[in-house]
Amino acid sequence: MNELLIKYIQEQLLNNEMEEELEAQDDLLGDGILDSLGMMKLILYIELEFDTKVPPQDMVIENFMTVQHISDYLAQKKK
Amino acid sequence: MIKILPHIIENSAQRFPKKDAFRFGEQAVSFADLNIKTAQLAMHLTEYGITKGDRVGVYMNRCLETAIAIYGIMKAGAAYVPLDTTVPHDRTLFLLKDCGIEHMVTTPKQTKKVRKLLEHHSPLKQIIGISQPMALPSFSWDNIFGIDTSTYIHPEVTEKDLAYIMYTSGSTGTPKGIMHSHRSGLAYAKLSADLYRIDKDDRVANHAPLHFDISTFGYFSAPLRAATTIIISDAHTKLPASLIQLMEKEKLSIWYSVPLALIQILQSNLLQKYDLSSLRWVIFGGEVFAVKYLRELMLKWPQAQFSNSYGPAEINQCTFYNLNEIPKVDTPIPIGKMWGENKYKILDSSDLEVNTGDKGVLVVKTPTMMMGYWNNELLTQNSIYTEITESNEIDSYYRTGDLVKLNKDGNLLFLGRKDRQIKIRGYRIEMDEIEAVLSRHELVKEAMVCSVEKSNGEKELLSAVVLKSGKQIEINMLLGYCRSQLPVYALPSKIIILDDFPRTGSGKIDLTRIKETLSTL
Repeated sequence: MNELLIKYIQEQLLNNEMEEELEAQDDLLGDGILDSLGMMKLILYIELEFDTKVPPQDMVIENFMTVQHISDYLAQKKK
Repeated sequence: MIKILPHIIENSAQRFPKKDAFRFGEQAVSFADLNIKTAQLAMHLTEYGITKGDRVGVYMNRCLETAIAIYGIMKAGAAYVPLDTTVPHDRTLFLLKDCGIEHMVTTPKQTKKVRKLLEHHSPLKQIIGISQPMALPSFSWDNIFGIDTSTYIHPEVTEKDLAYIMYTSGSTGTPKGIMHSHRSGLAYAKLSADLYRIDKDDRVANHAPLHFDISTFGYFSAPLRAATTIIISDAHTKLPASLIQLMEKEKLSIWYSVPLALIQILQSNLLQKYDLSSLRWVIFGGEVFAVKYLRELMLKWPQAQFSNSYGPAEINQCTFYNLNEIPKVDTPIPIGKMWGENKYKILDSSDLEVNTGDKGVLVVKTPTMMMGYWNNELLTQNSIYTEITESNEIDSYYRTGDLVKLNKDGNLLFLGRKDRQIKIRGYRIEMDEIEAVLSRHELVKEAMVCSVEKSNGEKELLSAVVLKSGKQIEINMLLGYCRSQLPVYALPSKIIILDDFPRTGSGKIDLTRIKETLSTL
């Protein structure tokens, strides 16, 4: 799941222009990797790709800070 | 007497030493601590030869150290220059060179980015705020906070001296620096603190990054009245559900941001779950707030007084419009009336005053006005309208470039721009700058940029280019090039390559037709 998310962020949201490789532990929100528009696109992608719904109350830092956080959140949702 | 900006902190530290001056997440700094820490940074800078008139860069995202950095730099007599950490390195390097920045204050979080910056040629000589070894002499915050301040001497700074420089989009293709003195910064702090009646019990939200001029409200106006400023983290600004939790937890009483942030909170549909009864002011500015959202928000937060603030970064703020009732119709709300002792005129294209109620360009005379543009006397001259008064004094007015008219009830209405500047998500963008950047590409002959409104009311930048004869390039390469030169909010969302621009009968580029082509894509 991590690889898929990283691939999407690097290719679709960042146009492969990151100066370093994106890692699962990188802070997506605090390091200026994604802006608020990018975040919304990422959530849309997740909903489509993983056939799930992210309700507004789940769109919080604890679930979206890093690629790892997103994976954990999605895994826990599946249970 | 508070005569220069650092006096704000010294004064509040004397009156309310233990009160929180700034908060960020679980961290906080009291006025007394801030007073000491800023003196420590100032002493360090002074020891390294920094003196009045020098510029020191602040390379940080939203964090507690921003407050220590800006007041520490000003305490050393120097001017602070906010550097946006999210822009491409080329743009940061341009600013460092343009402004002659030799010293930069940062945080450990930026270590990777600073390393990258230092691989390029720049005027930098010293990095403050990073503990790891760097290519230049560097000092950690622990080093700074170990300095003994018993011999701290106040610099000989007067209110006329340079306090800070904020860079904004420039139509010639490179950013321009807006210079503010202690006097103009302090005049803004006093006027806004009075208008919004800030007091020591207020908890003021700072949503804007340091390089955005409305941050002066949280960093100057709030501490002036010994209120606590809550610096909202970058992460919170991106996730409205977290943001609204924070608003409740911090019991915010004054909110100031661009409309977009408020619209995102509204659209999260979570408002009813949180207790925001402490909120007494909701101030917005930077761009037009669509009435349909504003109305919805006013219905949800009846406890708060809503206020539209207006003013280009060159003069901070100049008008305000307090909404006493929920707007009934969707026509844009006024920018309101001038504050303080400001004077204004509405001029036609020949610099003559228009008839009352007619449209024209707003020029403003105000104590909150900038000193000028950094290193650009010509641009400064062109931005000023002067008039000899009856008592033979010279009155200088700032030409806002904004088209306005005076309403029957004495309020000013904003009607657009006289040039090609637009606002996207509150950021000021010169479309000429993006065209100039694209035209600088080695394969591009001509470039054209326009903005179109999407169905949700948001603006989007589109571009068309003509390549030099016989040359080819992939669109993705051009987009990538833009990413390496422009901040993310100024990126065209689409670029098309044309064989040639359509021309009008007289041979001029037919912008209307290109715009039509672009918007139907």
